[in-house]
Amino acid sequence: MSGVLVGFAGMTHLGVNSAAAALAHGFRVVGYDADAGVIEGLRRAEPPVLEPGLPEMLRLHASRANYTADVAELLHCDLVYIVADVPTDDAGKSDLASIRRLIEAVSGALARSAILVVLCQVPPGFTRDLPLPSERLFYQVETLVFGQAVERARHPERIILGCADPSAALPAALAEFLSAFACPILPMRYESAELAKIAINCCLVSSISVANTLAELCERLGAEWSEIVPALKLDRRIGQHAYLAPGLGLAGGNLERDLATVLKIAGETGAEAGLISSFVRNSRHRRDWVLRVLHTEVLPSSSDATIGILGLAYKENTASTKNSPALALIECLSNWKIQAYDPLVAGSSVSHPRFVSGARPEDAVKRADALAVMTPWPQFRSLDLEAVASAMRGRVVIDPYRTLEPGKVVGAGLDYFTLGARPLRGKRRSDT
Amino acid sequence: MMKHHCQRPEAPRRIVILGARGFIGGAINARLAAEGMSTVPLGRAELDLTATDAASRLKSILQPADVLVVISAVAPAKTVPMLIGNLHLLEPVCEAISRLALSQVVYVSSDAVYADDSNPVTENSYVAPSTIHGMMHSAREMMLRSSTAAPLAILRPTLAYGPEDPHNGYGPNRFRRQAEKGEPINVFGEGEEQRDHVFVGDVAGIASLSIAHRSEGIINVATGNSISFRQVADMVAAQYDGRVRVVSIPRPGPIPHLLHRFFDITGCYKSFPQFSFTPLRAGLKLSMQPVPR
Repeated sequence: MSGVLVGFAGMTHLGVNSAAAALAHGFRVVGYDADAGVIEGLRRAEPPVLEPGLPEMLRLHASRANYTADVAELLHCDLVYIVADVPTDDAGKSDLASIRRLIEAVSGALARSAILVVLCQVPPGFTRDLPLPSERLFYQVETLVFGQAVERARHPERIILGCADPSAALPAALAEFLSAFACPILPMRYESAELAKIAINCCLVSSISVANTLAELCERLGAEWSEIVPALKLDRRIGQHAYLAPGLGLAGGNLERDLATVLKIAGETGAEAGLISSFVRNSRHRRDWVLRVLHTEVLPSSSDATIGILGLAYKENTASTKNSPALALIECLSNWKIQAYDPLVAGSSVSHPRFVSGARPEDAVKRADALAVMTPWPQFRSLDLEAVASAMRGRVVIDPYRTLEPGKVVGAGLDYFTLGARPLRGKRRSDT
Repeated sequence: MMKHHCQRPEAPRRIVILGARGFIGGAINARLAAEGMSTVPLGRAELDLTATDAASRLKSILQPADVLVVISAVAPAKTVPMLIGNLHLLEPVCEAISRLALSQVVYVSSDAVYADDSNPVTENSYVAPSTIHGMMHSAREMMLRSSTAAPLAILRPTLAYGPEDPHNGYGPNRFRRQAEKGEPINVFGEGEEQRDHVFVGDVAGIASLSIAHRSEGIINVATGNSISFRQVADMVAAQYDGRVRVVSIPRPGPIPHLLHRFFDITGCYKSFPQFSFTPLRAGLKLSMQPVPR
């Protein structure tokens, strides 16, 4: 067990998973959050966020964890990570006021030699402007991925560290902590590290935008994007882990935030960022794909259609609905009846005059004129498609993420619409 | 997406239509009247916008809380004098509305305001007209925007077709006239340019909804389906039981720079979710019958 005591301020998605990773690497941890309810839950190994394997890990290492709602308990920490959420508005712009308040509160509680590391998504220039001694102040890039957060926090590809002086040796406690992750450590100036985070996300958005653009071409040409993807991934210049799955634009908030930041900085400095504007435009265009299919295939011929929605969360394995395509779709369907099911998101989070939330997937399907699988929850893969076809009034299944097996959908007599391929028309029972 | 000042459709007290005797204006007036709305249709005979007293005459006609629909134009504007003339036509309108508390102003513009672009046109596409006609509409949009505090709805229809179209522009209307005369339908080159064609009744439908909701903002009036002129010609010919041929003729000039124009009409789906456009084949059939006035 290491002697380094690591504090985490903000028991957010990022905070809890980062703390769990530190525990897993043998460190003692202080987890601080002003919300006493969150702290009580953590003491019972019940985190406020859903992540596969997270409760088990918290339970396993509970003896080395101290969760507290008292900021003063950070006093004995050798280093403290700021891991609060940075809220964004609808345009993806960050509101930094709350994180500044947290840093002020935490830095007032720190020991004189303690190190403070900002691990949140902040714009370039933020860390250097903080009123703290530069030799004790660092910025570290986080690469949280919802649904894979534990694994990524435990085994990062590399650690990108923003410093006042990248050539100086790291403080002993920080060096000991980071070396436990057994990956390359890349010290660089604060601004470079802050921009590196944005650069990573811009590269991801670039891949997503390419996939979305070419998937749309596939839909019109009769090509299959799913056939093309393996060819791209075997290209060393692109790689196995490239983000090439087409989707309904960007969601979740973090990628959008970085695009907004780049556009803001470009606007303030005179840099050319037309490419970023194109990413934003493409994302908005693809987000409405399901709405366009509904208006083309279902709504003109059925003025009182019922639309079934499977999945409300912005992605699987999370209860987050920030920028959720499902909610964006529902907002545009106020004239029609919506019946939905999500394993985690409560129906009460949806504002719609004719919205019904069910307890089972079947509740979303019953007598629906069209069914849209808006979140690729794994359990939807095992739906009995013959039963779905029998329960539905209409024939249209819209499955942007290819959660269902296209052949089985068509085999059940349903029409199948997915991203990156031409629609497949169901085999009608009378055809056989 | 348009902002609706009335979430539920609500008929205004009165709708004054400038240019109500024209192709689109007539269709809008007929639609509104058929829906039971009170209209004041004005053509040049009732109000000559080139007259020196046009502004004061219009002021005397307009009442507070009226909706004003502006369609009057000498179109298509192809020359500089036509551009200037069309701007002058709007000058008295701008003067008349500048101090009036109207419920809404609706301007029927054109998709010609948009830049030539290979991407599908949306309401957010760049306005950079490449023709005098487009520049005329773009300037008139700006004139109205700067003259009224009332909600301004700007409708930008693409190529409109329908019965009683006085123009003989290349497309459904001309094809139908050629077929009616028993002549072959002529397409330039292979007729491969793809365009979106909207039935005039649908332009009137969107105008009606915009008025009923007192909508503010921009809406493109297009079906979202673009097809080639050759396909349009074939559809028209098919209505004449094989008696009409489609013939390819040499282009009068080079192939247009903008070979195709597509629309992404998501903005319309969001603004008017229950509106459906008339499919081209059905619209062409309707075009063979006169519109009841």
